[in-house]
Formats: sequence, C-alpha cells, structure tokens
Amino acid sequence: MPGDSSILRMRGIVKRYGAVTALQGVDFTLERGEVMALIGENGAGKSTLVKILAGLERPDAGTIEIDGRRVRLRTPNQSLHAGVAYVTQELSIISALSVAENICLGGHTSPIWTTAQLAARVKPYLSLVGLDDIDPAMPAGSLSVAQRQLVEIARLLSRNARILILDEPTAALSDAEIEKVMAVVRTLASEGRSIIYVTHRLGEVFEIAHRVTIFRNGVSFPPVDVERLDIDELIEHLLGRRLDQMFPERGISIGEPVLALEDVMASGLSEPVSLQLRAGEILGLAGQLGSGANAVVRAVAGVPPRERGSILLRGKSLDPRDMREAIRMGIAYCSDDRKRDGIFGVRKLIENLSAPAIGRITVGGLLSGRRERDLAGRLAEFFEIKVNRLGSQAGNLSGGNQQKVALGKWLGIEPSILLVEEPTRGVDVGARAEIYRHLRTLANEGLAILFASSDNQEVLGLADTVATFFRGRLVRVAPAADITPEALLRDVTHPESAESEALT
Amino acid sequence: MSRKETIADLAIRTVFMAIVYLAFATLLPSYHTMSGLAALFDGAVLIGLVAVGLGVTMLAAEFDLSVGSLAAVIGVLAINLIAGGMGIPLALVIAVAAAVVYGGLQGLVIAVTGINSLVFTIGTLIGLRGFALIISNENSVTIPIPRLSETDVFAERFLGILSPLSIILIIVLVLVGLFLSYTVWGREIYAIGGGRAEARAAGVSIVRPMVIAFALSGGLAGLGGALSSVRLGSATPLGFDTLLLSAVTACLMGGIALEGGRGNVLGIFIGLLTLRFLVGGVASLGAPYWLQSLAIGALLILAIVVQMAIYLLRRRGARPQSLSPQAS
Amino acid sequence: MISRILRAGILPDDSMSDTDAQALFKRRRNMVVILLAILLVIVAGAITTPSFLTVENLLIVIRAASITGILALGMSYITISGNLFALSGEELAILSACIFAFLMRAEYGLFTSLVATLLFAAACGAIQGGIISYGADPIITTLAFGGLFRGIASLVTNNKNILLGTTAAEWLGTARPLGIPTQSWAFIFLTAFAWFVLQKTRFGRQLLLTGANREAARATGLRVGQASLVALILFAVCCGLAGIFAAAQFGLAVANLFTGLNIDVVAAVLVGGISLRGGQGSPIQAALGAIFIALLQNFMLLHSFTTGERMLVVGCLVALATLGFHMLQRRRA
Repeated sequence: MPGDSSILRMRGIVKRYGAVTALQGVDFTLERGEVMALIGENGAGKSTLVKILAGLERPDAGTIEIDGRRVRLRTPNQSLHAGVAYVTQELSIISALSVAENICLGGHTSPIWTTAQLAARVKPYLSLVGLDDIDPAMPAGSLSVAQRQLVEIARLLSRNARILILDEPTAALSDAEIEKVMAVVRTLASEGRSIIYVTHRLGEVFEIAHRVTIFRNGVSFPPVDVERLDIDELIEHLLGRRLDQMFPERGISIGEPVLALEDVMASGLSEPVSLQLRAGEILGLAGQLGSGANAVVRAVAGVPPRERGSILLRGKSLDPRDMREAIRMGIAYCSDDRKRDGIFGVRKLIENLSAPAIGRITVGGLLSGRRERDLAGRLAEFFEIKVNRLGSQAGNLSGGNQQKVALGKWLGIEPSILLVEEPTRGVDVGARAEIYRHLRTLANEGLAILFASSDNQEVLGLADTVATFFRGRLVRVAPAADITPEALLRDVTHPESAESEALT
Repeated sequence: MSRKETIADLAIRTVFMAIVYLAFATLLPSYHTMSGLAALFDGAVLIGLVAVGLGVTMLAAEFDLSVGSLAAVIGVLAINLIAGGMGIPLALVIAVAAAVVYGGLQGLVIAVTGINSLVFTIGTLIGLRGFALIISNENSVTIPIPRLSETDVFAERFLGILSPLSIILIIVLVLVGLFLSYTVWGREIYAIGGGRAEARAAGVSIVRPMVIAFALSGGLAGLGGALSSVRLGSATPLGFDTLLLSAVTACLMGGIALEGGRGNVLGIFIGLLTLRFLVGGVASLGAPYWLQSLAIGALLILAIVVQMAIYLLRRRGARPQSLSPQAS
Repeated sequence: MISRILRAGILPDDSMSDTDAQALFKRRRNMVVILLAILLVIVAGAITTPSFLTVENLLIVIRAASITGILALGMSYITISGNLFALSGEELAILSACIFAFLMRAEYGLFTSLVATLLFAAACGAIQGGIISYGADPIITTLAFGGLFRGIASLVTNNKNILLGTTAAEWLGTARPLGIPTQSWAFIFLTAFAWFVLQKTRFGRQLLLTGANREAARATGLRVGQASLVALILFAVCCGLAGIFAAAQFGLAVANLFTGLNIDVVAAVLVGGISLRGGQGSPIQAALGAIFIALLQNFMLLHSFTTGERMLVVGCLVALATLGFHMLQRRRA
C-alpha cells in the first residue's frame, strides 16, 4: 500500500497443529527501527508466530509482507534471504566448530576461511555482546550455556538482517550479560533495524521495547506503546483466560512429609532451594524458561544428580544411581518430552502401559498375557483411555492420550512420589481436564505429586501448594488458595514489583 | 577440541606410532633401510587414499561401506580401458572421474532421502562387487604384456624413498587437509557431523557437504583402486576385500570419531603409518598374509574400546544443561 | 492407596479387539510382501526351469535357506533391539566350524564338541555384545570382530582343511528325519523359539522396547545394555550352530567354508522388512526373507547367472528395499 512504512506486515495468520489451533488469524505489524516486545502466556501463540516468520513453520493461512512486498518464507534459508534473522530457544551452536566458525556458518562469506580472517570478522560482534575476552578460535563446545546464547546473538548480528527476532534470549544470562544484550538491541534499533523481542520477563519489556503486542489464546491484540503502560495494566492484559471447570477440588487428605529438599543446588538454579512435599499433596512449581522450576524436578529425579544439598525421602537420603533404583524406591519421573523418552511410539498401547511394571506381569520369566491385560485395562479405565485402543500403536494416539499413557503407566509400580515436568504440554483442553481429575484422585489416594509447569493457570488450578520461580531462584512458597493469579504472574515475570509492593 | 588439545592428541598418537615402529625396528633390519621404508610407504598408499576418503564421510557422521567394492570396480575399469587401447593417463582420469561421479550420486541419494548411510551402502557394497565381477568376466584382467613397460614409471623413486604413488598420497593428504580446515565447504562437513540438527537450524545446507564427502570417498577409493591395479598391471574383481577394515582402522587410530565432527587428516596419516608398521612388521616376521586380518581386526577393536572409554569419561564430565522448559 | 485403584474397576473382557486397522495392516503388510515375493520366485522358477521343482533341487534350496535362516533369525534379535545388523556372522560360523572339527578330530565326542563349540560361540557373542552395550557402533565393532575371527580361523586351520575324522557327526549334517533335513528342523525350531522369546518372555519384551525407544526404555528402568548383550549372544549361538551343521555335513572345516553368507543374511533381514529403526517386526520376517533369498539365488543359478550377476541383483535388491522401506516410514511420520 502506498505510504506504508511498516517493514513487516503479517495478516490473518492461522496455524493449526492437529486439533489445536495455535494461531487464529493473527495480524502483526512491525515498524522500522522499533523494538516490539511479544508477550503472552504459555500456549498463547507468540513462539509459533515467530517460527513462521523464521521459516521454521508454515502458516495454514495468511500473508506476510516485508517492505511492502509479499514473501513466502517456507524455509529458514528463504527467511534469511528476506532479511530475517532468528535466535531461538533451542541453541544451534555446533560444539565441534570454533566460536568464529559458528558465527560465520550459514551466512555469506568468502570460500576460504583462515583463523585470522574469521577472527577479525567476528571480533566486533563478539565485543558487542560482551565476549571480548573469548578467543574466536576456541571450540564452541567449551563455552557455558550463557556464552553460547551470546554467541548465537553475535551470529544474529553478523547476518546483517533488517528484522531480528530474539526468542527468550536472556533465559540463561546473568544481570551483566543481560545489560549487554539490552545495549545491543538499543543500538540496533537506533541504526534503523527492527527487532521482535519475545520474553516473559516484563521488566525487560519496559527497559527496551517501544511497543508491546500481547498474545492470548492464539489471538493477538493491537500493539500498545510501552510508555503508556504500567506493570499492573500489563498484568491485567495478560490475564483473563477463563478458568473453566477444568480443575477439580483441592486436596483433602494431606499427610506426613515424604520428600524434603534442603539447600539443593543443581544446574539451572542460581540459589539453593528448600522445599517440602507431603503425602497426598500436589506441589506445583511455577516458572518460565530458565526459572529453575524444571531444574528442581530434575534434581529430585537425579537427571542429572544435584550438585549440593540434601534430598530426604521419608528421612533417608535420596541418591539414586539410576532410574532403576529410583523406581525401586517408589519414585516415578515423567520428563517434558514424551516423544523422546515417555512413549514407545511403535509399540502397542498395552505394552506402553505395562512397561515400568514389567516385573509384576512376569511369572517365571514369561509374560502373563492375562496380568498384562488386567493391569493395562485397569490403567486405561482409570485414565479414561478407550480400552479397545489398547492394541493400537502409541504413536498414533492423540497428544492427550499419549500424555495419559506417559503419565499413567507409572501407576503400575505403585509409586509414592510422582515427578512431572509440563504435565499437559501439547494436550487439548478436554484431555487436560481429565488428566487434572486423575491426578487429583491419585493424590487423594496418597500419592505425592511434584510438578513444574510454565502454564500459570495450570499450577494455580491443580496444585495444593505453589512455589514460584524466577531466574533460577525460589521466589515464594504458599498455599494455592492464598495466591491470586496476578500475584503468581508477577512472581514469575517481575517479582521485583511484587516485593516493592509488599514494602509499601 | 582446541588447538592445544588437538596437538596433544596428535602427539600421543605419534608417540604410539613411534613405539610400534621401534618395536619392529629392533627385530627387522628392513625397517632401518631406505628401501625397506620405501616399501612400507608404498604398501600404505592404497589404504591411505581410501582412509582419507572414508575419514571424510566419518567426519560428516556418515559411513561409506562400499569403498572396497568401488576400488575393485574402478581398478577393473582402468585396466579394461588400457587393455582396450587407451593411454594410461587418460584411462586413470576417466576411471577416477567415474568414481567421483558415482560417489557424488551416492551422497546425493543419502542426503536427499535421509537414509542411514550404513544401511544404504551395504546394498551398494554388494551390488558394486557384483558389478566388478561382471565387467571383468569373473577373471583377473591384465594389461597386455607389450604395454606393461608403461607402468615402469611407478617403480621410480624420488629422494630414495618416495615413489610416484607415495607422492600422490602426500599431495592428497595436503589438499584434503587444507580443504577441511580452510574452506567453508570443508567446515560444513564438520558442522553436519558435529551437530546435524544444530547445523540445519543454523541454515547450513545438508546436501552439499554430504555430496562432497561421498564424492571424495568414492573418488579416492577409485583413485586407490586404479593406481594400485595399474601399478601391478592387473586387477582382480574380488580384490580389496580387507581394504574397508584397514581403512577404518587407520581412521579410528588416527582419532576420527565415529559420531562425527572430530578428527583431522594428519591423524589419519599417523594412524595409517601405525597400522602399516604393525601389519608390515607382522608380515615381515614371516606370518602368512591371512594373519593380517587378525592383526587389523584386533587393532581396530583396541581402537574402538579406547575411543569408547575416552568418550564415556568425557561424558561423565560437566556438560552444559539445555534450557528448559520450552515456552510456546 | 494406589493399589486400590489397581484392584478396583471393571475388568475388561478378554476380547480386546485390535480396531486399529492401520497398524494391523502395516504389520501384516510387510509379511504379505515377502510371501508374495516368495510365491513369485517359485512360480517363475517352476515355469522357466524344469529342474526347479525337483526333489534334489528343493533339498538344496531348503538346506541353503536353513543355514541362511538360522543366521538371519539370530540377526533379527540384533535388528529388533535397535542395533542395525552385525557383520561378523559368516566369520564366526566358520570359526565355530573349525573349533567343532578340531574337537571332533581330537575325539571329544559329539556331545562335548557340540556344547563346547556353542559355548565358545556364545563367549564370542558376549565380548562383542559387551562392547556394543557400552555404546560402541554395532556395525563397525562386528566388522572388526569379523576380521579377527577370520584371522583366528586361518590360524587354527593353518589354511588347510580340518577333517572331522569320524562319522559321528554325519547324521547331524546329512540326515533327513521325516524327509526334512536336520538343518531345516533346527531352522523351524529356532524360528518358533525366536517368536516365543520375543512375544512371550520378559527379556523379549525388553528387547522390543529397547529397540523402539532406547531413552524411554532407560527412563522406564529397563536394562538397556543387557538387551544388546543378550541379543549378540543369541546371534553368536546361531552362528555357532550354522558352523556346526556345515562341518557336520561336509565332514571338514576350512577357512573359506562359507562365502557370501554375510551378504545373504543381511539381505534376508532387510528384504524381510524388519524395520531398521528397531522395536518392530517379527523373526518370522527374517525367516521368510532367508527363504526368499535362497530361492532367488537358486533361481539365478539355474538360469546360469554368473556370480557377479547374482551379487549385483542381490545388492540392488537390498539397496532398493532399504530405500523403499525408509521412504514409506518417512511418509507416515
């Protein structure tokens, strides 16, 4: 359109993943030289939109215009050609190559690469992100996670793109490193480049963004000038998802402590954590990317083992050598990636359900078909999976049913503690409600459940007790009934404002 | 690995090679003489050429099982061309070109379909061997006697030790080494080997480095097969059957990691020499030739176990935790 | 308590219908393909060659299929456990034949020689399996051991024949109880055994799950390393058996007792359609694949295909079959 100065205009973007609609016809514009923050709850759609722009996903409908011209961004290469550069949450640093090579890979360079030439080329970008004292020739494998993140940003800078997307770039960074990144972003904007900045840390939004677009339930709202916003309004905007009849009543039979964490330090935490979990209690750890919530769950499971502090299981020190030992102690652990290690996709459902309890369905080395059908049948019944699907391949089930299997199979070993990360990732609303119901029933029967989730509503709705995390430290522990949605959101996105409120 | 680590690693391998050399040198006078050393190097050329090509595919986290069969095919092809009247240089060029083209096509199929290269090249390993038998009429093929004198050039020696074949090996080592270390395309091979998913996410083309890697392994296998057949004056279709085993042993002993992304050409050279000193020594001590596969097999097992032990120890050390959870 | 939940609820009735038509069809599809292929070769052979359907010829085919099949069955444990395949089968069979011949000649008696040879083979399998269970690449490791075994076999025989020196094993190698060769009885028995192990035993289930998703198997507390180890041992015992049968049949063992067996065995497993991803498939597919390969080889021989032509055919078959199955799997994902 004539007179249109926007560098980017996305219209009517729709994206579906099976039965779930991630984006319901989203419009998004970006002006030249501005920093646009993208915020929204888990599952709201912001990462999906950004992935579409980066050529990693294709929209089911909608158009994209860059500089007034229609573009098709079907692959990351096409996106790069169109002037878009993207720093992801999943690091794409190759350990085998040097820092300089990582930065130059995939970009446009001369065919001959010498160490000196590459070093000269990347030094300015490295110093921009504060990595002056890193030897560009050193192997990227020896960098810390934070340094790798900065190298990714340096690569982004070297691509000379017009539109830069940073998706949760500060998740692993220290205060000083974050400052550097902020400074870089400001400089880039002043040069006329346009930046999309996806984050859950509201403080950062106020620091560098000009405008902010809020996502909720796959819909985007018209962008707002950051100057005209304050933190309370922002939180107000973010909330508002209807709390359906998704969550059952809270716990009734909470018993003795079964798990005690004392000053536990593990990878992903910046401060020691102390927590307690009682029988029949559901303890929810709320926190976003890099908050440390998941790290706590992993520390209890021992994957990887904690670095410091003690974990007591009914008073005795918990230090399982491997998963087999943990299972013997009655601990069941469900990671956040069921495809990777939660489900045997090519095996039948019944075999998935009986897998952890294989010892119980064995008689003298032989599998008892009757016992297996019995166990699997009861589990399927309890978790509301259609029994006549027990012979199907697990990989063919819906996300919701797969998650039920990933969770439910642990019942077979009659655990006393269930550890879960992201209990309903990739699960539709109907199955979510069922899973919450089942978990509550199990808790009422005495199972202690510890789960970490980046979905705040899920934590509030499901848990008896809530622990909030931000940037690797525990912010607060309180009964779920005593925390408002605003307070929870504040804790995981901008706890400083909560603390300052408490002081006034 | 950093530069310092690489140098240390190569130094250790060199020391091991020296130990093997000295062990046999005390027993065999031929290990001291120029002509003895020359013979050792000559014997290493075939394995060396193939090992370099195979090593490149390993760097890319792939594997070309068909190198032995391809060497046989190209050897027969070269001899057939010469026997049919072609001049030796031209026959060599055409034969090697055919090998390069074949390798490139193989790499293209693997890259585009995404099939496991070990699985695919088992089929081509079998098929190529059959093809070698067919084009040679199930027999050894030889250069016609009147023309045998044209191969005398291969017996010359420069500087007392180096035959034309050795020189070719050294040139190949240098060229491939430079390619892998100092060109974008070479680094891309390390990239797809050291982190396939990460390389894709970073926008690196997967097809190009794969095609190059397999074209190299095919071309060098063909070069080795053609050169050694022409020098010998004959080619057997069932020959080169222990070539794969020897080549992969040289690579593993030289520090090429099977998982990809680690290793260099200098290491392959050291591993090659170590292998050659051992096997040549065993042969010179009077052991029959079929004992060689025992020695090589044992050496390869040793290399596998050592590399595995190092890998496991390294994994026990601190590794950066991945970020989690993943927001939507 | 949770056990309450496990004891409560309605017991589903035993008729757990497999309504997932897609999976059913796919499982059977691979088997249907190979059965059709077998039928095709038989028909083609019968039509084009008069000597194809004769008793002598069929005996040759059945014996060859049995030897290949015994090894292919052993290999199927490896493939199903997610370890792709092994390249040391032929060499271990040869070495086992040599050991057996040596023991028989030294007059240790049939039974002792049998047991000792099988134990030896199992030990060889255990060493390979041990290294692989710690994470070494299965194909390269077995390639290395293949070279080692071949060398040891040459060493033991001094590159000459080892005559058994007694007819005690003759029955084992040449008898035909009820008209069926002993090797085929072993083949049938081992097929049933393999099927039973995978379907009905705890170990078999562990093997399947380890192949289906190694990380998930670990997370579920299964002994992942043990699965690989035992798979290799089972394979090695099959190799030993094949070697014993050959030595018994010919009355001697020599370093080139088998040629091209590795190729036929790998081809049998791949063409039989067992998924190389692991965790799927049935040893019956490997058995059918072996029968098909034996029939195909026989067909080609009767049509005077040269060695080279036969190899070319098998090689192309393997390459195309693996590509085909791979593309089909990709389409579904």
